[in-house]
Amino acid sequence: MTRVRVTAPLSAARPAVQSREAAEESEVGQLFVRSLIRTQLRLALVVAGGFLLVLCAFPLLLAAVPGLAGTLVAGVPFDWLLLGAGIYPVTGLSAWLYIRSAARNEARYRDLAEDK
Amino acid sequence: MNPAVGLVALVVVSVATAVIGFYGLRISRTTGDFYVASRTVRPWWNASAIGGEYLSAASFLGVAGLILLSGTDALWFPVGYTAGYLMLLLFVAAPLRRSGAYTIPDFTEARLDSRAVRRVTSVVVVVVGWLYIVPQLHGAALTIRITTGLPGWVGSVSVVIVVCLTVVAGGMRSITFVQAFQYWLKLTALAVPVLFIVFALMGSGSTAVAPAVVNPTGLAAAGPYQNISLLVALLFGTLGLPHVLVRFYTNPDGHSARRTTLIVLGLLSVFYLFPTAYGLVGRMFTPELARSGQADAVVLLLPGQLIGGTAGDLLSALVVAGAFAAFLSTTSGLVVSLAGVISQDVLGGSVRGFRLAAVISAVVPLGFALATDSLALAGSVGLVFAFTASTVCPVLLLGIWWRGLTDTGAIAGMVTGGVLCGGAMVSGSVLGAAGTPFWLAQPAAWTVPAAFAVMVLVSRATKRRVPRTTARVMTRLHTPERPLVTER
Repeated sequence: MTRVRVTAPLSAARPAVQSREAAEESEVGQLFVRSLIRTQLRLALVVAGGFLLVLCAFPLLLAAVPGLAGTLVAGVPFDWLLLGAGIYPVTGLSAWLYIRSAARNEARYRDLAEDK
Repeated sequence: MNPAVGLVALVVVSVATAVIGFYGLRISRTTGDFYVASRTVRPWWNASAIGGEYLSAASFLGVAGLILLSGTDALWFPVGYTAGYLMLLLFVAAPLRRSGAYTIPDFTEARLDSRAVRRVTSVVVVVVGWLYIVPQLHGAALTIRITTGLPGWVGSVSVVIVVCLTVVAGGMRSITFVQAFQYWLKLTALAVPVLFIVFALMGSGSTAVAPAVVNPTGLAAAGPYQNISLLVALLFGTLGLPHVLVRFYTNPDGHSARRTTLIVLGLLSVFYLFPTAYGLVGRMFTPELARSGQADAVVLLLPGQLIGGTAGDLLSALVVAGAFAAFLSTTSGLVVSLAGVISQDVLGGSVRGFRLAAVISAVVPLGFALATDSLALAGSVGLVFAFTASTVCPVLLLGIWWRGLTDTGAIAGMVTGGVLCGGAMVSGSVLGAAGTPFWLAQPAAWTVPAAFAVMVLVSRATKRRVPRTTARVMTRLHTPERPLVTER
């Protein structure tokens, strides 16, 4: 087998795909891009905010209802169950909702950018 | 515990790691293979690898130990580690993949069109990586000391040797397989023993020594400030970790980067149920471990204490194997990403430079680890997250979402965050655990906002320096790739 000397590309700049070039150059293209970025940022902030609200609600719930934290569910105290296992489904659900909406936003952008 | 058990487990994991690493060598041939596995790794493989890399000594040993010590307060650690991935998904995953950069310094240079920003980012990334390797080596030292009675340095040194061999031999491609294997090993190594323990306890009808609410050490409960500050560090720290970010470049496009992250979230959620279970069982049945100052070893000692005999030895061997998988995988992930940064910036980016850089990035933290003492593992990793959240996180978030960021602003923000958080860490270790005020022990709640504020204000003041390439780069970060077109 022959040995070939290879070196890493110095910078990250790589040629972009044609339609993306077009989007960069035209004014209308930039309008679409800005609106896509705004939509995606809003989506990310809404999902993050919702998740953090649920996260804060858990300890508040435990503090607000006396005796709830110590209630045994299948031998495990309820506060352990809620914080140790209950938060993960919320994380997964938020992530799944976000991915669906983000992909939909991108599909809408692609339709717009390719129609023009 | 039988000392041979620990040694056999250590040797088996090291050999398995090396074999998978060398198997990967046969298919990695170009520099692209070396750095990012040519972006052809499938989402499930990639997700397992990310999980394998992320679940470090802190997750495997530290979380259970901290839960044993401080109960429900410590449950915020696994929650934060997982939720950090949600933040990564929401704000970073797809744009970062679309940036097409190999490392974080590559990204900041391309985004801000500045070599100076690149240099500062490189320094920060290397510091973060080194800080994060040290607790892994402490974990290895602890495990070797507890399970075999040998001096701790044997553990740290053997981890560094195995990591150097695998990274130097195969680079990222083999690392991907190694990491994926190690995720499943870690999960099995925690899940099987704890299920055995729970069934054994239920079968024998033994009653808990103490209820879960009883505090075994009389440690003060954390106030809301500590919990919030910890969550800030973990939520925002994850998205700046160098070894986590480099993984996203191995996805073929932005959408698959998101899918991979979703799978990772699932894998992490399943994993963290088990350290929590260890912590809870330890608190109820062996609270004396917390008082003996061996809380971090609860995962290692529990099978021997509660089951005993040959079964206990076998289960202990499995746990020790899992622990070494944790040290090896996180350390090798960090070493690969640090070597990528160091070799491109200092050594010219050749494969030989990469190998030399890999050795440098593993040996320096080894020196640190040998010179310092192990703190609570989860706590010291929490501080690394705080440091990342105050330095790399602001530059990534603002770089991806805000057109107004300038190179001067980015540098000023990173330096501010680094100095404030680094200062807090240094003074915390000088003052000792007892003498450190709570706001210094958990600095993220004020250092992260400070870094963001400085970055935004200085960028606003240097508006003229917004690079002319901004519109082009932002388009590239956020617009979807054409379907079925892979960039190669």
